[in-house]
Amino acid sequence: MKKTLLTTASVLMLASGVAQAEDKTLTISVYAFAQDEFKTIVYEPFEKKCGCKLVVETGNSVERLAKMEEHKASPVVDMAVVSMADALAASRKGLIDKVDTAKLSSFNKLYDIAKDPNGDGMSVGYTFYATSIVYRTDKMKIDSWGDLLKDDIVSHVAFPNVTTNQGPPALYMLGQALGTDAPDLKTPIEALGAKKDKVVTFYVKSSQLVQLMQQEEIWAAPVGRFSWAPFTKLGLPLAWATPKEGQTGGMNVMVVTKNSKNRDLALEFMDFWLSTEVQTKLAEKLIDSPANAEVKVSDEVANNITFGADTAKSLKLIPSDVALDYRDKWLSEWNSKVGQ
Amino acid sequence: MFQNRAEGLALALPAALFAALVFLVPVVLLLSEGFRNADQWTLSAYVDFFSQPLNRTVFLRTLKLSALVTLVAAVIGYAAAYAIVSLPPGAKGRMVGLVVLPLMISPVARTYAWIVILGRTGIINQALQAIGLTDEPIRILFSETAIFIGLLQLFLPLMIISLISALENLPRDVVPAARVLGAGWLSVFWKIILPLTKEGLVIGGTLVFTGSMTAYITPAILGGSKVLMLETLLYQQVTVSNNFVAASVIAFILIVMSFAANILLKRIASARRSGK
Amino acid sequence: MIRRLFTPLTLFLMMLFLIGPFLIIVAASFSAGETLAFPPQGFSFRWIIKVFTIESFRQSFGVSMFLAIGGTLAALILGIPASYAMSRYRLPFAETVRFLVSMPIIVPGIIVGLALLRYFVIPVGMSVTLALFVAHTALILPYAVRVVSASLANLRADIEEAAVILGSSRLGAFFRVVLPNIRGGILSAFILGFVTSFNQVPVSLFLSGPGVRTLPIDMLGYMENVFDPSIAALSSLLAFLSIGIVFAAERFLGFSRYV
Repeated sequence: MKKTLLTTASVLMLASGVAQAEDKTLTISVYAFAQDEFKTIVYEPFEKKCGCKLVVETGNSVERLAKMEEHKASPVVDMAVVSMADALAASRKGLIDKVDTAKLSSFNKLYDIAKDPNGDGMSVGYTFYATSIVYRTDKMKIDSWGDLLKDDIVSHVAFPNVTTNQGPPALYMLGQALGTDAPDLKTPIEALGAKKDKVVTFYVKSSQLVQLMQQEEIWAAPVGRFSWAPFTKLGLPLAWATPKEGQTGGMNVMVVTKNSKNRDLALEFMDFWLSTEVQTKLAEKLIDSPANAEVKVSDEVANNITFGADTAKSLKLIPSDVALDYRDKWLSEWNSKVGQ
Repeated sequence: MFQNRAEGLALALPAALFAALVFLVPVVLLLSEGFRNADQWTLSAYVDFFSQPLNRTVFLRTLKLSALVTLVAAVIGYAAAYAIVSLPPGAKGRMVGLVVLPLMISPVARTYAWIVILGRTGIINQALQAIGLTDEPIRILFSETAIFIGLLQLFLPLMIISLISALENLPRDVVPAARVLGAGWLSVFWKIILPLTKEGLVIGGTLVFTGSMTAYITPAILGGSKVLMLETLLYQQVTVSNNFVAASVIAFILIVMSFAANILLKRIASARRSGK
Repeated sequence: MIRRLFTPLTLFLMMLFLIGPFLIIVAASFSAGETLAFPPQGFSFRWIIKVFTIESFRQSFGVSMFLAIGGTLAALILGIPASYAMSRYRLPFAETVRFLVSMPIIVPGIIVGLALLRYFVIPVGMSVTLALFVAHTALILPYAVRVVSASLANLRADIEEAAVILGSSRLGAFFRVVLPNIRGGILSAFILGFVTSFNQVPVSLFLSGPGVRTLPIDMLGYMENVFDPSIAALSSLLAFLSIGIVFAAERFLGFSRYV
């Protein structure tokens, strides 16, 4: 038994020692999305270039942010990618620092909306996406966000939950269709609440929608463009709606942790990720739509991602401060009208 | 029984210290946040929690579904355990193995299988339409029914196993003897089987009830945000709202309900025996 | 007639309910289609092959294996003496100890994870791996104590007392008389602990950190973005691995007698 104890102890020491063994290590926190591709396109080439080791934490935006807050006093993560609104939340909580854009050689190549999405200098956008409605063309026609609430359509719809990144933008567009621009989203939430029993589900994970679409559980759902590719493989008559109110969307941004000991390395990594070469490769694999304006892709690729300066400009994004200031209000409104 | 107390304590101490240090202290500290407001001890967070209609709905739903799962698991569990115990030894071993089998599969995968089974084009709906019970596919997913089915499948093995060990200790001839003497099945169960297996029922019942209340993946996937349970609400409070006070309130409610269920089951089981 | 049909019918229906989802997962693993479906669309090994090409699964499988085996061993090392003490000594605080070690079953996992992170891991400044190891040990401990206690209760205490009277040391009696007789219980505890740890999600959610993830967390993360049958394939592979382990255990040690 003593032997087992000793073995266990030594294995433990080994396992916990690995992380500290490398002296030049950069710890990044990213979405658990297409990690194998990121590894070959971004992480490994960067490790070779800088002669350092990358340690990657994955998870969704809010979970990782919650952990960053717990580790505030001595941060474990050097650099993180989160949603625009979460970046502002992190900045208000004092978790992140200003991005020294002078050290980013690719900075001037970025679309204007990506340069400083929150207007506080604390984040840089690296990809953006459109959000619209994916739907079965043989079952319905969608010309407006308001069509989602029509009686013969609503009972085949999965709507994003208000807690997801897609929820508030989709509600905002629904509000526009109902004739209101108010940021409190009261009107669209009420309208949705009146039909909540008919809506199939209020989804949290967009990847689940592919399964639900394949089983004919749903015929339409508002989704981000980044989840479009798997739908095209289903062999169903599906289309990406272009509603008359326009498309909404979101942006993902990079932030640098406050008190990070590897700030320069983090900036070097960000610059690498934003470079024309890397952004082009990510776009060609249909992973992330480029924020770098110099990226050129084929028409086929462009049609499957959110591409181009005009597209970027046309997206109706919810400003981060609105998203943040109203978050609790939206949630309680949602819980009382839709959640029960 | 050995009398040397110091020796006994020394043997039990490491486990107790470990549990206290890495478990009890952190959890108590976190739970105490639900009873504090600035520097004062208060129940205001609990009053707030129950004053919201959504929270009351979720609380009652959790209680109802967990109790229902426990009850149905007990009924099926007795039938199944009785059937398994009366099998010859070899077949019995294989059956126990099969009952334990689902426990080996990731709950994530098991839950996703139900999405396929319960869907509009799934086996259940196909069967219902084939025998003419319904013309249109009925909606089972994202409802309390779906959560109920998922939880029952998840926790039924625990009930069956607890009841098998209890039934094995039942003297072999008691049931046939009572039957010969003219007792009906119901009274055999009520007067003989239940009192003699109450230990197993209490253990199995507590495991199923507690498990159902604190399960996260099954209600999250099969119910979604349309049918929140306390645990999914708790998760929402932690990750979306960063509201640790509300989260610790929910956690404390879950813990209290687990204890209450355990005590209640014990009382029900012993009330039967004293009434014989 | 009804009575003769009762046993097989009950068992058949119950097994269908319990095993059905598993069969669907296995069938989906060999599907050629893009999503989970039953009956599966075609037959292929593409998803099984894909599982092995995803590198993060290999890493997190290693982490989960280490936590499940190491955590269970540690829980047994703590739990066996405690169970022994509670069943063989007149302890003043036996109930308190029993209660203390069984707490982790009752407290919701996400609270355990958060509490540990906030009031233990961060103040102590632990590494991610050690934190996960400690948490998993605490989670397995209740099972270890319960199952080992149960098999100690079935073992008559006078055998070891006899051994002691016949001149064996207390420690010697434990290793030579008690331990061999409760090995089935220990094995059950090991399997139960292993499965608990290997499938554990909510606690690991908060404690996993940069570079160190458990397999279920990795699977959830994968599914957050991609929904294809590779998760079904991975789950079936893991299930068959567990079944293999249990079968071997049953074969050599007669596990089912002790459940």
